[in-house]
Amino acid sequence: MNAMNFNFISPLFLFGVIGIMIPVLIHLMTRRQKKHQHFSAIHLLLQSKNRSIRQSRPNRKFLLLIRCLGIALLSLAMANPILSMGGSNNLGTNGPSATVFILDDSYSMGTQTNQKSYYNQAVKTLLDINNSLPTKSIYSVVLGSSPSRVLLNWTTVSEKAKNILRSSQPTSRTTEIGVAIKKSLLLLEEVPQKNKIIYILTDRDKNGWNEEEFSSIVATKSHKFFIVDFSEMRDGINKAAVEHAEVQQEFLSNNRVIKVKVKTANLSQSKSISKLKVSLWVNDKEQTKETLDIPVNSSIDKEFSFPMQTHNLINGEVRIEDDALLKDNFRFFSYQPDRTIKTLIVDGDPNIVEHQSETFYLERALNPFTSSLSDIQLTISTLSELPKRNLLDYSVVIICNAHNLPFGYEQELEKFVLRGGALFITLGNQVNAKFYNERLGNILPVFLKSLHQTQKEHEPFRFLIKPSKHPVLKIFKEQTLEEMKSIEFQSFYSVEPREKSKFTTPIVFTNEFPALIESNIGRGKVILFLSSIDRDWNNFPIQPTFVPWIQRWIKYSANGLDSLIQKNLLVGDPFNWENPPKGNRAFIVTPEGEFMLAPYVEGKISFKDTFTPGIYQLYKSSRTSSSEQNTSVPSRLPFGAQSVGAFTVNINPIESSSIKISNKEIRSLLPKTNLTFSSSNQKFNVTETTERTPLFTYFMMLLGAMLLLEGWLVRNE
Amino acid sequence: MSKNKGLETDPEVLSRIASLNIHATKLVEGLLSGHHRSRHTGSSVEFADYKDYTPGDEIKHIDWKMVAKTDKHQIKQFEQSTNLKATILLDTSGSMGYLSPNPKTMNKMDYARTLVASLSYLFLKQYDAVGLSLFNESLINYVPPRSKPSHFKHILHELAALSPSGVTKIEDVIQSIVERLHGRGIVIIVSDFLTKESSIEKKLKLLVSRGLEVIIFHILDSDEVSFPFNGDIIFESLEDDPPIELDPVDIRETYQRAIQDQITHYRSHCAKLGIDYIFLETSTPLEQGLTYYLLQRKNLGKH
Repeated sequence: MNAMNFNFISPLFLFGVIGIMIPVLIHLMTRRQKKHQHFSAIHLLLQSKNRSIRQSRPNRKFLLLIRCLGIALLSLAMANPILSMGGSNNLGTNGPSATVFILDDSYSMGTQTNQKSYYNQAVKTLLDINNSLPTKSIYSVVLGSSPSRVLLNWTTVSEKAKNILRSSQPTSRTTEIGVAIKKSLLLLEEVPQKNKIIYILTDRDKNGWNEEEFSSIVATKSHKFFIVDFSEMRDGINKAAVEHAEVQQEFLSNNRVIKVKVKTANLSQSKSISKLKVSLWVNDKEQTKETLDIPVNSSIDKEFSFPMQTHNLINGEVRIEDDALLKDNFRFFSYQPDRTIKTLIVDGDPNIVEHQSETFYLERALNPFTSSLSDIQLTISTLSELPKRNLLDYSVVIICNAHNLPFGYEQELEKFVLRGGALFITLGNQVNAKFYNERLGNILPVFLKSLHQTQKEHEPFRFLIKPSKHPVLKIFKEQTLEEMKSIEFQSFYSVEPREKSKFTTPIVFTNEFPALIESNIGRGKVILFLSSIDRDWNNFPIQPTFVPWIQRWIKYSANGLDSLIQKNLLVGDPFNWENPPKGNRAFIVTPEGEFMLAPYVEGKISFKDTFTPGIYQLYKSSRTSSSEQNTSVPSRLPFGAQSVGAFTVNINPIESSSIKISNKEIRSLLPKTNLTFSSSNQKFNVTETTERTPLFTYFMMLLGAMLLLEGWLVRNE
Repeated sequence: MSKNKGLETDPEVLSRIASLNIHATKLVEGLLSGHHRSRHTGSSVEFADYKDYTPGDEIKHIDWKMVAKTDKHQIKQFEQSTNLKATILLDTSGSMGYLSPNPKTMNKMDYARTLVASLSYLFLKQYDAVGLSLFNESLINYVPPRSKPSHFKHILHELAALSPSGVTKIEDVIQSIVERLHGRGIVIIVSDFLTKESSIEKKLKLLVSRGLEVIIFHILDSDEVSFPFNGDIIFESLEDDPPIELDPVDIRETYQRAIQDQITHYRSHCAKLGIDYIFLETSTPLEQGLTYYLLQRKNLGKH
């Protein structure tokens, strides 16, 4: 059953119907007064009247009717009537409609054509369609990018809403049509209107049409879907995109040359790209550039390298030459060179022969080259020299195979750890377990129980190797883990937990005995390695894995590991900082220069507003602060705030893809629904010819006919 | 008679009588002024023949001069014309009272009155008896024919006092009056013939068959012929028809044709029956109408 809907675009003109009064008044005023006349031959008059064909009086009334109709038609025509035909099957009334516009604001909608983006065209189309909505119609606008959200919630056609739409811009997000449709259907459930329409204004990028989302969509025939495609209007072509850019730092050379791996894709399905200019920019200076030839529909990895000049944070971006879509023509990367960690090594078993000294291997491992290229700055000390050292100068103190500590020094160490210092203790044959158990109760969470030893001919102890998520160990992958299996331990101390102590055992031996104990005390960290750090009890120091292993532990204990892990996020991914600086407040500066307090959730930082691509800088305040101060947001970065790193947010390259979803695929995603497809060029054919017929012309033609008839009648009068 | 009372009292009637009198006498005298020479050759005193006196004849008719000359008793014989009785039937129905909204001439009733008065005067002047019958749907007044000159006043009074009303029913009236008309005579019918009756001709035929000479004066107002009205008009009947609202323009032609048809109809039927039919529009000067009539009669040798 077709429903007909009769609406006016300019209903104010309907007041023109009052103009009908004019001919009526003229008629009444010019009407001849009815005279009464006595007459003799009435029967003849009657006879003549019955015979006469001519009837001038009804004629005049007919003329009046035509003039009235003419004026009514004129005002109706000016009111711009729209006849809506068809409607969905259950449209019972001709009442106003409820329309949800799903406006795809993903970054691919920013593709430029004729100096206008698809998005601008889509907004214009949206407003055009809005203008032709029946009066009293309401509409919502749901943004179709991920995560989809409601821009305008049920509003009538108002200037404010129009301004919001006009000022909106495409985002850097990906498309998510399925969720947007679900949201739209929920919105449509809220309203009583029976005429429910969903317009999807999109460039039909296939990535936005996720089958899983659509499987749970329950749309009925009562919902009308109009899918308006804007990608067909492209003049320029989105030729290429930077799909990936990442700093690839090699171990040990990380302080000299920066290497950036860049993946550039040719998005065209038919044309190869030759001599695409790719350049690398750091802090707004071009560092290096290349030209690339990329075959059809493929991507090329290219490594760029440039010398590192400072130890400051590197904020860079990869750019390729402009095409129709600018947003995928650059990609950000950032790199935080390691900061120098001042480390005090206490040698509990010094020896005149250098290589027999307890700290020989440790020193070499932490600073592999004689020239100070490492970011770990070492100071070697003996136990007797220890009281002279100011512990506040160091981030990490490593005590190797110490028999005991100078009198009362355990309290110094406790203060050091509580304040945030890292204490790394290794054992050995000099260790007086009794001293450790009795005096270091506030520092060590365990008692040293007994020394386990194997004879030379017996199978040594080994690490129990398994993939770990521990920040230190997670970088060790298959090959390295295999190598670590060959490490042999002859001796180690078994431990027994102290009461109410908290600790973890990231590494255990094959016999399930702990090999390393990690505990957090105050704001600091205590790590106890239950074997020796030299070759007395094991052969670990001469293994290739020893150097990264010990370096990472030191950096980790000094809270420096986060800078090693580059955070390359995509738009919308939350930034999680597992181990934020404790006690210090952390701040995030967005790419737009906005400054905000990093949100803490259960001691971790989880920052979700990563919808703008760019480099987000992290800072921590220099002073520790009480929890009360944490609640207030400072208006600017506090004085002396230290940069603690950065993370990059880049667009998801999947949205750049030129693969479009076909009508057939959409039909299969939305079965049993009332679907209409149109391109942006022919959109009005869909919305106006088959659905909405403007009657202006017809009314004017009818008016012309009326005028002709009127003229003819007047002439005959 | 009650009407005679009005003769003395109603000044309007009196003035109308005077006016009619003057008008009619003037008219007839004017008409007859050209006929003085032949005054005694025509009319009812015309000598016809002598015949021998036989007992039973009136002595007064003996020509004593002839007796003196020849000693024969001869009786002069005259034409019967001296015994002419004219009965004028005047229609006084409502329709005769039509007054034009734009009077240019005499109204229909006055026209008819003057005509009747003139005819009466004419007859009386010729020593003929003249009677007057007023009718609408029936005979409402009857003045028997007299030839005395003083009779003219009676007729004038009747004419002056009448007021048009009622419906025209000529057929019934003719039927009723035919009994009263003895012997040969003239019946003059003055009417507008605006009636729905359809068989007037038959009644006319009846009159003719009784040996009566019938003269018809068909009088219509100019408005009734040309129908000159304009604008939306509700026409109300002077008789018993319902009012009718129409635009005269619409039916003017049809109406004119209908009225002409009616005139033609009467004219042709009257001609067949040997009836003198004179159609007079009020715009026609009465003199002209009368002259025409008299000439016509003279040519026919009727009087």
